[in-house]
Amino acid sequence: MSEAKSPYKMRPPILQVRVEDSMDIMIVRDTTRRAAGLLGFSPAHRAQLASAAATLAELVLKTGEAHTIFLNGVVSGMQAGLQIASETPWLAGVSANNVLVALRSKMGDLVDEIRLMGEESPTILMIMWLNDDRSL
Amino acid sequence: MALEVLLVEDSRTQAAQIKETLESVGLRVRVAYDGPDGLREASENPPALVVLDVKLPTMDGFQVCRRLKRNPATQHIPVVMLTEKADPKSTMSGLREGADDYIPKDIFASEHLIQTLQELGILE
Repeated sequence: MSEAKSPYKMRPPILQVRVEDSMDIMIVRDTTRRAAGLLGFSPAHRAQLASAAATLAELVLKTGEAHTIFLNGVVSGMQAGLQIASETPWLAGVSANNVLVALRSKMGDLVDEIRLMGEESPTILMIMWLNDDRSL
Repeated sequence: MALEVLLVEDSRTQAAQIKETLESVGLRVRVAYDGPDGLREASENPPALVVLDVKLPTMDGFQVCRRLKRNPATQHIPVVMLTEKADPKSTMSGLREGADDYIPKDIFASEHLIQTLQELGILE
């Protein structure tokens, strides 16, 4: 995957981290905190986003394949947010509903939206929207 | 006069490292080695910030954070939790107890801690 997918309009920051081993999980966490900081998320919400991104990176790493975590600013109307994404081709043909239930169970309330986009090469997307309670 | 931070950390080695980080940016640091001591210290002489380990003997960091946030004498004090457990459930538990940040003890911990202190207004 050369670029992230999104149902929303994307905007900076646009960052990506190649995840090849468990050390890279720390880089994902750190990069997510920085991306969330650039968008104006509070430290507590940065911690939530970093935990979500690291958890996604860990899950995908368990497949044994190197992959990329994409971090993008997204915009929907007047709302801005941070999207965390990773392509997950091994989920092709798996019930999207089952994947989403499993992800929601793992992620709890860390993010506002969890989506699975695409059928042949699905991409997991997680989004947290910025609002007054979540900004610095 | 430098602001004072109360560090609640049972590992003396880790306490020394975190104390050094905080002192390097001009903060004074008091250390409590368990939860009850930390609560007493925070209540008797409220610091500008509490840096709280999650895994503590007697009373864990979540319980300490909850009690700090329920006590009118300490509820205004920002709390930053430092942890070896940064999974989604633990992260949400810490933040729901009122922590202002939840930072994993990894190679970026010092940097994230200092950045958070700046954003909380503890550091300029």
